[in-house]
Amino acid sequence: MTQTRNLIDENGKRTDGRTADELREVKITVGTIRNADGSAFIEFGKNKIVAAVYGPREVHPKHMAQPDRCVLRCRYHMSPFSTDTRKNPAPSRREVEISKVMREALEPALILEDYPRAAIDVYVEVLQSDGGSRCAGITAASVALADAGINMRDLVSACAAGKVDEQIVLDINDTEDKEGGADMPVAYMPRLEQVTLLQLDGKLSQEQFNECIDKAISGCKIVYEIQKQALMQKYFGNETELKEEAAVQ
Amino acid sequence: MSASRRSPVIVEHLRKQQMWDALSKGKRLDGRDFDDQRPLEIELDVIKKANGSARVKLGHSEVIAGVKVSTGEPFEGLENKGALIVSAEVLPIASPHAEPGPPDEEVVELARVVDRGVRESEMIDLEQLVLVPGKVVYTVFVDCSIVNTDGNLFDATSYAVVAALLSAKLPVLRMEGEKVVDTGETRDMPITTIPVSITAARIGDHVLIDQGPEEEACMDARITITTNEEGFCAIQKGFTGSFTVEQLKKAAQSARVKGEEVRARLQELTAR
Amino acid sequence: MHDVKRRYVIPGDKIAEGNFRPLMNVIKSGNSLVATRIGIAETGRDGVKVIPLSGVYIPRVNDLVIGKIVDHSSLSWEVDINSCFSAHLPAQDVFGRDFSPARDDMTKHFAIGDMITARIMAFDRTRDPMLTVQDRDLGKVPRGELLKISATRVPRLIGKRGAMIQTIEQATQTRVLIGQNGIVVVTGRNPEGINLSVRAIQMVEEEAHTANLTQRIKVLLNVPDTPQQEITHAPIGNGDAKSSMGEAEEELEVEGEK
Repeated sequence: MTQTRNLIDENGKRTDGRTADELREVKITVGTIRNADGSAFIEFGKNKIVAAVYGPREVHPKHMAQPDRCVLRCRYHMSPFSTDTRKNPAPSRREVEISKVMREALEPALILEDYPRAAIDVYVEVLQSDGGSRCAGITAASVALADAGINMRDLVSACAAGKVDEQIVLDINDTEDKEGGADMPVAYMPRLEQVTLLQLDGKLSQEQFNECIDKAISGCKIVYEIQKQALMQKYFGNETELKEEAAVQ
Repeated sequence: MSASRRSPVIVEHLRKQQMWDALSKGKRLDGRDFDDQRPLEIELDVIKKANGSARVKLGHSEVIAGVKVSTGEPFEGLENKGALIVSAEVLPIASPHAEPGPPDEEVVELARVVDRGVRESEMIDLEQLVLVPGKVVYTVFVDCSIVNTDGNLFDATSYAVVAALLSAKLPVLRMEGEKVVDTGETRDMPITTIPVSITAARIGDHVLIDQGPEEEACMDARITITTNEEGFCAIQKGFTGSFTVEQLKKAAQSARVKGEEVRARLQELTAR
Repeated sequence: MHDVKRRYVIPGDKIAEGNFRPLMNVIKSGNSLVATRIGIAETGRDGVKVIPLSGVYIPRVNDLVIGKIVDHSSLSWEVDINSCFSAHLPAQDVFGRDFSPARDDMTKHFAIGDMITARIMAFDRTRDPMLTVQDRDLGKVPRGELLKISATRVPRLIGKRGAMIQTIEQATQTRVLIGQNGIVVVTGRNPEGINLSVRAIQMVEEEAHTANLTQRIKVLLNVPDTPQQEITHAPIGNGDAKSSMGEAEEELEVEGEK
C-alpha cells in the first residue's frame, strides 16, 4: 500500500475534515432487533452495522455441542448494497476471515464455561460500510452480548489507527483505508487491559508501530465510554445512580 | 427438490383457541378486522451509499432494500432493455429459526414473487436504461436484507423494493467510445406505475389480510396479489392448503382496494 | 439497618475490592470483584452479587416452569420451556412405572401445543432438564391469557413473599400463574380485569429495577397505598419459589427488622 496523493492538507485536516486524533461520530442503540436475545445498532462514521445475539441456545446439529463449555459462532456479513460496488451476497474470503478474527476477539471476554452444551450465535451485518467496519462490528457485537445477558469478564471495544501521509492517525476512514500507508485494527478489553484483536495491513517502523497501537487503544477507550452509555441508557434510562432506600419495596 | 417440512413455530392451544374465538366474532387476536393491515412505517434513503434505499416495518417485520446501479450486458432476448435483478435474504439476525447460508426455497420464492410484481407491472421503463443496444445497458440491482421476521414478509419486502426504486437516483451515464463514463449528474428512476402487493392468509373459512406470526403459523393457505392502477400483474398462491374460487375472487377485490391505500401512501412519501 | 451498597453495573464494572465472597454473576479478578452481567450490584456482609436484568432462562432444579409440548418420542414429551435447552417429561411420570407405549396413548394426555405447569426434577451440566407434573396444581393449563416476560423480572413480579403478585391478583380479580422461566398465564372471569392484570404485569417487567414501583402499580390498579398485611398463605405454585431478586429482598427485610 504505497500512497499516491496527499490525504492530509496543510492545515492538518484529513479528507473528511478531521484532525489526526479525532474519532468519527459514534452512535449506539441497544435492542433494535426484536426477535434477538440481544442486539445493537452502531453508526461509526458512515458505517451502519447491526449486531444480534441468539443464545445461549441449543446447538444444532447436536454433535457439535461441547460437554464443558459453550460453542461460540460468529458471522460477519455485508449486505449487497453496503459497498460502493454491489457485493455478491455469498460470503467472500474476506468475510470468512473477518468472521474468524471477530470470534477470536470476543471469545476471551465471554465466560463460556457457564453454558455447557449450548451455543451462542453472534451475527454482524454491515448495512453500509466505510472503513473500520470490523471494529465497529466487534463493538456492536460486544454490546449485543451484554444486552443478551451473557456472562462476560469485560466488554470488548474496538478501533483502528493507521498511517496516512507518514502520520499516525486515529480511526481511518474508507479513503484513507484504500489509499493510505497502513491500517491497524485493534480490539481491547478496557478493564483487563488486554488486546484481543490486532491486525496490520501496510508498512510501519518500530516507532510508528508503537505510536499506532497506543493511538488505537486510546480510540478503544473512547468507544468503551460510548458502549457503556448506550447500555446504561437502555437499562437504567436517566437514572444513573441507584437510590439506596428505594431499591427494594 | 422441495420437501415437506414442519413449521418451526408451534402455536399454543391456548392461543389457537383464543384465535378461533376471535375469528368467529370477526376479529383477530390483536383486535384487527380481517381487512386491516398492521401499522406500516416506511423510511427512505437509509443507505446513503446506495442509489436508493428504504427501510420498511410492517408490524415488526423489518426489511431494508438497497438499489445499486451499474452497467452490464442485457439479458438474452431483451437486447433493448436495461437489466433488473431483485433478490432477498432473511438474515440470521432476523429470527431464532433463520440460519446463515444461501436462501432456502421459501426465500427464493419470496424474492421471485416480489421481482415478478415489479417486472410484470413494468414499473421501471427498462427501455430508457440502454446505453448501447444489445451490448451495454444499465443493470439495476435491488437487494433486500430482512432483519426481523414477524409474519407476512412478502408485503414488507415488496413495499421496501418499491419504495427504494421510487426514491432512487439513477447516475446519468454516457458512452465515450468503448468506455462507460459517469457524467456526475443524476436523474429519477423512470417509473411508469406503482405495483402494490397484498397478502392474505386463510384460516378455516376466514381470509385475513397481512397475517401476523401466529396467524402465519396456523394458516392453511396464503395468497399474494400484486396490483397496479390498471389491474393485476402478479399472483402467487402459497402454502399447502387450498382456496375456493369465491375466496380468491373476494381476496382479489380486497387486494385492489387495500392496494390503492398503500399506493397513495407510497406516492405521497416519494412524491412520484 | 444493615449497610448494603447497591449500584447499576455493566459487565466488567468493578464492584468492590478486598475479601468479599463472589455470590452470583460476579467474578474475582485479582483483588477486585467484578460484575459479569448488566444489573444491580449488591455488596453485603456475606458477599457480592449482581441481580441480572437480562438473559435467557437457565433451568434450576425445583423451579416451577410453564412449558409448551412441542414433540414426543415413544417414551417422553419434549417441552419448550423458553430456555437454552429443551426439557423432557417422561411418560412414566404421568402413566406410572408400568407405562407401555403399545398400550398407553401419550397424545390422550398431552398433545402438541398444550401448555403445562411442571417442576424441574433434574438438571445438570451433562443433560437436558427433566420435568415432573406429579404434584398438586401441576399439569395441563386449560385456559388463560398467555404472556412472556424476561425470566430475570420474575422475582420482582412475585415480590417479597408474593406481595406484588397478590396485590395485582386481588385488585383485578384474576389468578396469575408465574413460571420461573418467564411464562405467565392470567385467568379470570372478567375480561377487563384480565387486561388490567396484563398491563400491570407488563409494567412490572419494564420497570423492575426502578424505585417506587409498588406505588405506581397501585396507582394503575386504583388501590390505596397502605402497608402490606402479613401474607398467611403463599400463592399457589409460587410460594416456595426461591429466586435471586426475591431472596435478596427477603434477606434484606430480615436484617431491616431491627
